[in-house]
Amino acid sequence: MNTIQNLAQAYAQTPWRKQVQIIGLVLLCVLFTVLIASIYLNVSARAATYGREILLMQEEIQRLQLENADLKTRLGILLSSKEMETRALEMGFEPVEKGESVYVVVPGYVARQPVILASAPPAENAVVVTLPPRFTESLVDWFKERLMLPDRPAEVIQ
Amino acid sequence: MTQERYWRYTLLGMLFTVLATLIVGQMLRFQFDTEQAEKIKRRAEDYQHSMHTIYPARGQIFDRWGHLLAGNTTVYEVGVELQNVNNPHTIALTLNVVLGLDYTKVRTAVEQPASADAVYVVLDDFVSQEKIDVLEQYKDEIKKGYGSGKGKESPDLSGLVYVPHLRRTYPEKDLASNVLGFLGRDQEGNLKGYYGVEAKYDDQLAGLPVTVWLPTDPNLVSEMPNVPDGTSLILTIDREIQAAMESLLDSTLESSGAESGTIVVLDPKTGEILAMATTPRLDLNKYWRYDEVFKKDTPFNRAISQAYEPGSVYKVLSMASALDKGAVKPDTTFLDTGIIEVGGVQIYNWNRGVWGPQDMQGCLQHSLNVCLSWVATQLGAKDFYAYMQAFSIGHQTGVDMAGETPGRLKVPGDTDWYEADLATNSFGQGVSATPIQMAAAIAAVANEGKMMVPHVVKARIVNGVQYNTEPRIAGMPITAETAHTLQELLSRSLEKEASTSLVDGYRIAGKTGTAEIPTPFGYTSGQTNASFVGWGPLDDTRFLVYIWLEKPQSSIWGSEVAAPVFSKAASRLVVFLNIPPDKERRVLYGQ
Repeated sequence: MNTIQNLAQAYAQTPWRKQVQIIGLVLLCVLFTVLIASIYLNVSARAATYGREILLMQEEIQRLQLENADLKTRLGILLSSKEMETRALEMGFEPVEKGESVYVVVPGYVARQPVILASAPPAENAVVVTLPPRFTESLVDWFKERLMLPDRPAEVIQ
Repeated sequence: MTQERYWRYTLLGMLFTVLATLIVGQMLRFQFDTEQAEKIKRRAEDYQHSMHTIYPARGQIFDRWGHLLAGNTTVYEVGVELQNVNNPHTIALTLNVVLGLDYTKVRTAVEQPASADAVYVVLDDFVSQEKIDVLEQYKDEIKKGYGSGKGKESPDLSGLVYVPHLRRTYPEKDLASNVLGFLGRDQEGNLKGYYGVEAKYDDQLAGLPVTVWLPTDPNLVSEMPNVPDGTSLILTIDREIQAAMESLLDSTLESSGAESGTIVVLDPKTGEILAMATTPRLDLNKYWRYDEVFKKDTPFNRAISQAYEPGSVYKVLSMASALDKGAVKPDTTFLDTGIIEVGGVQIYNWNRGVWGPQDMQGCLQHSLNVCLSWVATQLGAKDFYAYMQAFSIGHQTGVDMAGETPGRLKVPGDTDWYEADLATNSFGQGVSATPIQMAAAIAAVANEGKMMVPHVVKARIVNGVQYNTEPRIAGMPITAETAHTLQELLSRSLEKEASTSLVDGYRIAGKTGTAEIPTPFGYTSGQTNASFVGWGPLDDTRFLVYIWLEKPQSSIWGSEVAAPVFSKAASRLVVFLNIPPDKERRVLYGQ
């Protein structure tokens, strides 16, 4: 019995060593917690900053849209019929009367066409380019399909 | 461990245990009390998000060459955030000086204490950027002069805010105002298009507002949806032609003393309306003056909303029907005795004269009511009214503007139709039609018998893609051959009588019209509606002009007041549309 006690005593750690180990463990936990907290805080702070920036940018987009609409209309006012007529008369222009125009044939001349302010709609029979599934499906999709349709003929690769 | 410490730790332990138990208990309670849980969940969500409605910018309106006719400008709503107000006197005084608002009213509004029900007060709206710049300048100067010193005594504009939004603006003011209509507010304060294309295409121009829940927590920021602008419209209207026609109409009204007037210019081949000038016109940027401008029952756009008895211009349709059916031929002779009785009613010519033997050209040239009444009887009531309906008389033309009226065409079977109506209708009495109906119907004669649907929208721009409007055929009331024959008759008629409507260098066709204005006691007013319809050049028709002058004073006759207006209008149109004179055109085309 004594022998066992002696052996246990011989291999037992000293109290100070145990204390150091516990303190070390606690510190490790604290350190880990601090690390996680700082990462979390850092990510949160960055997310908040970016979120704020996005909000500011959205506000800026709205402001620019308003300004854009405003400028277009101001341009419209400056180029309005009465304004242009007044300016033309001030510059010495006169309205052309019937019989004053001289008409000549200009090869290749295309008469003034009504305005096109936006792109034309896409043709109804436009060719839609689609990638074969082998370029887009995931391995899991491919595997699933193989399992569900084992008899599917092998895809012909051109 | 001392006894005292032991108790302290035990007490703390118990406290934490109780707290933890309470929290766990509450959590468990929520699992069973779902109503309460839902309520709390909803409240939490309410705090996390706020609802925003994003209104798209209203679509713009352009003329056929891309000139802006209706756009949007940024204006500001000026208000105060009550909890941030430091000095109501400064705010009231500043707004009184800059915006001209009533000092007492503003001060009373600003001085009310902030509460859950009163957070923000609107003081003014539609304030221009220039005024806002002045307010900003005041703010800066006050800040520089007095810093951010708190207290009721020091001047301070804190709490004053400006919220930008778009306002409909019409750069051309009253140009084409009767075609465009305007954007106003309904009784509930919602924006709404009134009259013209603004009303007809209101839903498309307004676009679709999107309501979104946006997170208040910046960590949960979500993407603001991209709300596309409303549909923009490109009209068939040519701004320069419109301006020229309005100017011509105004000067005509002044010289003739007519009460009102209308000029419609359209392309008979496509039905595109190039100009629609009428009176009165409204500066659309001041639409609140509507009642001042359009007194009593004055329609917003006479060209589509006011039906009238057109008089002799209607003979074009009567003769077209008779020729098409074969009831008469151009060389059919009619002996004009100056009177004809139809359905017990005696019909006379405009001058009560006797014109002797006349062929159909003579009947049109001298605008003989007796002859046309006879022609209508030769055609028969059934066919006459079938043709009139084919010409869309009594029906809306389908023009794409709000407020079109169908006019009135009495037909056999109606309780108020009498046999005599066949005769009077043949020369445009007892039937009412709008200028656009008359123009669209007669355009069939100018377009080889094909009647096109008149329209003002040439293209729509939806999400950055332009969809052009294809011309639509309303019908083919007469054959191309009939149209050619009648056109020739009308052209020769004008040339023979040396009409004041003629345009030097260009061959045109047309017809005058003078209609007495009926009263409840018959045609006793002595006042007339003077009209003229004309088109040209005949070998390649590019325009049709319909003119209506209401109650002209200088002369009651269409041939004297309306025909010269056509000549002036056509003289401007050949310049705007780059149409060389007939001779030059033949040489140029020959090359």
